[in-house]
Amino acid sequence: MPELFRNMMKEEWRVHSTMFGSISFALFPVMIFGIAFMGAFLLPLIQAALPAGSLAVLVHANFLLLGFLVGGFGLIGNEVMNRRFGQASLLAYSARSLPLSERFIFVTFVLKDIVYYFFFWVFPFGFGYIAASPFTGIPLERTLLLLVTLTLAFLFGLCTVFILSTVYARSRAALWLAVIVLGVFWGSLAAVTGMNPALFFPPLLLYFSFSYASLVLSCALLLLLFLLSVMLFSPEYAGTVKEVKNSFSPLTRRLSFFPDPPLAAKDLLDLHRSGSVVGQTLFSFLIPLVVIWFFLSLLGPFFPPHGLLFTFAILTGVIASTMYTWVTMFDTFGPYACLPVSVSTLIRSKVSTFAVLQAVPAAFIAAVAVLTGDAPALVPAVVLCLAVSFYAVSVTVWLTGLSPNVLVYDVRVLISYLILVGIVLTIFSAVSFAGLYYALTSVVLVIPSLLFFRRAMVKWDTVDQAGF
Amino acid sequence: MTEVIAASELSKTYGEVKAVDAVTLSVRKGALFGLLGPNGSGKTTMIKLLTGQIRPTGGSAVVLGLDIVKDPIGIRERVGIIPEQETPPSFLTATEYLDFVGAVRKIPDASERAEEWFDLLEFKDKRNVLCKDLSRGTRQKLMFAQAFIHGPVLALIDEPLINFDPIMQDLVKEYLADYVKKGRTIFISTHILEVAEEICSDFAILHRGRLLHSGPVADLALRNEHLPGFFLSLVREGRHA
Repeated sequence: MPELFRNMMKEEWRVHSTMFGSISFALFPVMIFGIAFMGAFLLPLIQAALPAGSLAVLVHANFLLLGFLVGGFGLIGNEVMNRRFGQASLLAYSARSLPLSERFIFVTFVLKDIVYYFFFWVFPFGFGYIAASPFTGIPLERTLLLLVTLTLAFLFGLCTVFILSTVYARSRAALWLAVIVLGVFWGSLAAVTGMNPALFFPPLLLYFSFSYASLVLSCALLLLLFLLSVMLFSPEYAGTVKEVKNSFSPLTRRLSFFPDPPLAAKDLLDLHRSGSVVGQTLFSFLIPLVVIWFFLSLLGPFFPPHGLLFTFAILTGVIASTMYTWVTMFDTFGPYACLPVSVSTLIRSKVSTFAVLQAVPAAFIAAVAVLTGDAPALVPAVVLCLAVSFYAVSVTVWLTGLSPNVLVYDVRVLISYLILVGIVLTIFSAVSFAGLYYALTSVVLVIPSLLFFRRAMVKWDTVDQAGF
Repeated sequence: MTEVIAASELSKTYGEVKAVDAVTLSVRKGALFGLLGPNGSGKTTMIKLLTGQIRPTGGSAVVLGLDIVKDPIGIRERVGIIPEQETPPSFLTATEYLDFVGAVRKIPDASERAEEWFDLLEFKDKRNVLCKDLSRGTRQKLMFAQAFIHGPVLALIDEPLINFDPIMQDLVKEYLADYVKKGRTIFISTHILEVAEEICSDFAILHRGRLLHSGPVADLALRNEHLPGFFLSLVREGRHA
């Protein structure tokens, strides 16, 4: 175990440093520390608008999501590596060549993810608050408790994805059943107690009311999830070679209104056949947004009328913009480099496919508006969501070209992204709070979005594409 | 003599590494040209440069009369390329991939041409299988088909026989020999010297990014030399230099 664990840690580091550059990647935890450290000094200002408890809720929700994302990437890592680097292979997939069982490798892989991302993300954030505590007057024990509960929130996200994925590997029907059971459980909890079910999230309970009994209970629950994942883990995956009928040509004809029909048809077939449409929609879109909704709705009383829906629409727009990674993650420029296809043509095609996928967030926000009884705000909320999504993706494309996953940890790129998107989010949050139809002004984001897209086309046509 | 490729002082550096170092090279029309060199000598980089997949850091090159920097798409419209490592897209079938290539290259009868390739390379039974489930050999056949489906006047192939069994190697060698007889040009990179000696009309040797030699294979025979021995002596000299 120690040898495999050590090498998996090295491998994880090298994968990231190869993708993002050693310095940029090494600076990432430093940046997280800096944000948390400086953020601690802003707490009095933030608390003037929001109660401290609400901020804690949001921070815990973020670390829960981080766990989802890390777990999700771990599961598709090998495929992404293969598409990105050619014949890449990870230790996690080497059971055939090493005298180790798949289950043993899986357990080591999960432990590696926990330790690696704890030191990469969770600890720098928690340590930022701890380091600031002598200057901010926040009691040291509260900051230490925050580090513990954020770690637990991250682990809950990670273990939830792992257990759902092991269930999924055995049976898709079982996965849907598990999701429904969980939904019914949280719904019943809300109905019986009359409280937002997010408040029953164990790390939050622990943060608001610490006791050793709660700590042991949280850890026991995590251990249970982890052990269940290991028990349900099914190493005997027999790949089946099945024949499929030609869907490409009919689909290309149906997509004749696209700027590049064959490229769009290929993207849609990739998404469909890789299972990404269902998997990504569930794990990278719906589950995070449902979690965000529950946590965000705790802040409902502090929002102006329709403010909660508009804030949620903006957040949905940001998350929807990451759908660009869905259409780029299984593709390198390599196969296209044999063909008369420029990088700008490919970007245009990927963005077109991305535009089709925006039907999902549009429908989602419309459904949320109706279900929450905020139907009058439906149209402005959908417009706001889509405008933010297209703006955020235009910035992503300008900064990262065809490799949004590759550059997301590059500190310089990330800071540029946060500034460019953050400014817009702040402005349109404020504008949309001003009145029901003010959110419609977000259509002006079309202008900077088009500018970023145009600049991206010129920029990335002159850059050698990595990964082939 | 009509040149289909003319490179002048062509260079590509990655940081401190000179992958291709001031290479001047020409390839005549109708040649089966072999670019030879040990692993890491710059052969793959040279093919990427000549097909406009990457941009040079120095020098220039013209392929089929088109500048590799100014018109890389024009070059890729006219040539066929088989990269060494790249595989066809995982989630398309073999038929769909050739239809995709046909659609991108705007070949009206791509489906009929694809059928011919399935027959020629003997993988008709795999045409509806997703590329991710194909064996390496079958993927290589598919990459071969995509490079020639539009009947290019010039094809650039990185390690043409890799992953093929002996029967398929023989078939491919025969195909390439027939191809150049029609006045078209093949540019291959390989480190399998026996194959190069057997099928190439002209060759060049790259070592550590630098061109050590370029000329017709027939010249070696006139000097009673064989390509493997000539190559090894030249590269070993280069290593000691």
